Amino acid sequence: MSSFENVLIENLPDISKISFKKIHKDYLKALLIYAFIMIMAFFVGAFFLIKYKLKEVIPEHVNYIYLGIFVFFTIFIWYLVVSFSKRKYAVREKDISYKRGVIIKTLTTIPFSRIQHVELDEAPILRIFKLASISVFTAGDSSDDLVLKGIKKDEALQIKEFISSKINE
Amino acid sequence: MSSNSDFTNFSRQSSKGIIVIYFGSLYKALKISWIFLFIFIRKFSQLTSDKLLYIFFAIIALLIFLLFRAYFIYKNFQFKIEGGYFILQRGVLKKTNTTIPFDRIQNINFKQNLIQQLINVYQVSIETAGSKKVEIAIKALSYKDAQALKNQLTQSIGFKNESLTEDLIKKKPLLTISFKELLKVSVTENHLQSLLLLAALVFSFFQQIEDILDGFGKKEILSNYIANEFNSLLHNILILTFLGIVLLILAMISSFVRVLLFHFNLTVFVKERSLEINQGLLTKKSIILKKEKVQSITVSTNPIKKIIGISFITFRQAVSGKVSQKKDKLIRIVGCKFDQIYQIKELLFDCKSVEKSELYKPNSYYKIIMYIRSFIGLFLLNSIVYLVFQDSYVLWLNTLFVPLILLLIRAKFNKAFYKFDKELLLIGNGRIETDLTYLSFFKVQNVKMRQTIFQERKKVIDLVLQTASGKVRIPCLELERAVKLYNYILFKTETSTKPWM
Repeated sequence: MSSFENVLIENLPDISKISFKKIHKDYLKALLIYAFIMIMAFFVGAFFLIKYKLKEVIPEHVNYIYLGIFVFFTIFIWYLVVSFSKRKYAVREKDISYKRGVIIKTLTTIPFSRIQHVELDEAPILRIFKLASISVFTAGDSSDDLVLKGIKKDEALQIKEFISSKINE
Repeated sequence: MSSNSDFTNFSRQSSKGIIVIYFGSLYKALKISWIFLFIFIRKFSQLTSDKLLYIFFAIIALLIFLLFRAYFIYKNFQFKIEGGYFILQRGVLKKTNTTIPFDRIQNINFKQNLIQQLINVYQVSIETAGSKKVEIAIKALSYKDAQALKNQLTQSIGFKNESLTEDLIKKKPLLTISFKELLKVSVTENHLQSLLLLAALVFSFFQQIEDILDGFGKKEILSNYIANEFNSLLHNILILTFLGIVLLILAMISSFVRVLLFHFNLTVFVKERSLEINQGLLTKKSIILKKEKVQSITVSTNPIKKIIGISFITFRQAVSGKVSQKKDKLIRIVGCKFDQIYQIKELLFDCKSVEKSELYKPNSYYKIIMYIRSFIGLFLLNSIVYLVFQDSYVLWLNTLFVPLILLLIRAKFNKAFYKFDKELLLIGNGRIETDLTYLSFFKVQNVKMRQTIFQERKKVIDLVLQTASGKVRIPCLELERAVKLYNYILFKTETSTKPWM
């Protein structure tokens, strides 16, 4: 038992000591564009709903509804920015790690030797910024595997190649 | 069929397969149409003899059609072994040709349902690994052919040929559960769970009736009937107690039926690298559990079982792809004595040292957060109940609930612990039941640390280990220890050369 403790403290690479890389800033821009499109769509819908329906039923509350929507989206944008700054990743010799979360923080590490396959995809707006996402799958319930979003495509390809070469070892 | 058991040419299953397929489709047809049959029987007297004649002809035509269908399915179902591949051709109108390389075959299991037992044939299922689950079932083979097929399929893959016939006669089973012991097991089951399962069954049954009645526009009648009955019941304590007793008896009966159906005649044989488990009443199953495929095991017992000295083991096997926890992958052996448990554990792991190693408890924050969560839940429940019933009388139920919840949380915290040595992790949890989960570090697929902002203040963290058969959680460890364990698990999985599956 005691010798085991020694192994733990001295020889093992420590996850808490490695330096994590931040997600590329362009990804935040892409996220904000997405959010903007969504908010605009919502606003247009809400505007017409209020103008033609609600204004006749509850005219005195209309301003509060606008205020409510505004506050909600402000919080939403704030959350987006904060959660973006919490997303970090690290690729080591034998595994890949990903950190995220504002209220619930998680850190996931997948050893390369357990990876089944790697996927690289580019969503429409991300493509403008030359960004890509890497999904890593392991055996079993794959809903909980690792997805790295918003990495420069060159780097993403490198990571993918690196992992693929490691899997085949 | 091919009594010389040669599979190099296309061969069909035993001709008895027609019967198996016929009854199989008959059963399916009955399952879909039983409610119409029920209505038909009820209205039997109102039908004129003309109509009756038509209906009888229709039914006979259907029966004959199914017979022909079964014959053609049988006729078109052919398989052979050629050059390291298992080749299957099937389909009457739409022909399908399936080819499986031997090295993709994971498991070959035998099964017998009621019909198959009566005419003495075996169903052979071939399980394969792959992104999508393909499973092939050959419905009727004689025991000899089934064995021969299995041997030929397994021999060439290189894993040891475990010929059943010889071993069974020579070896004494590790465990046989007699009817009497099975009775003991069923009495000590978790009856609440059985009751819930029964309720789910009844509910789906009820919904099926409702759907049908809905088609007739009679849904109102049924729900009114039930609403009326329910209202008058609610204020009658005598009837409620009676109902409680009836439910208890029902729960016990359903536990008993469940245990009997799944585990009848349970026998376990131990081999060098695998366990062979035979069980089942209506559907007999024979499962070979390979040592490498087991991801984790859980030994469970409850207070009553403990007194009798029995517990059960759940084996978790790897699930492939996105298939959710299939029941087949959870294999349970019930009614094990302690020394039998010991033997099974020894076969799979070297678990002596982990049991002796130092015991760690979760941080007391775990208890606190459980208290907080359940009281928030209880508060919400109370508010809803109060708003719905508008009657403060109902809130007296809390005098029953609060101590119960306190006790359960206390039990859960007391039973939670973890131990580890160089190879194994042992996690204890449970409320009324006691579950001990054994997991080899190198079987872990990925590791996760999870921390809420409240946990961050207390410097504790949850550790979630993902295996190929689901998650294993260690709640509320001290941060420092969690990081050490995290590093060690990664070290173990990354340096291990043993196959995890």
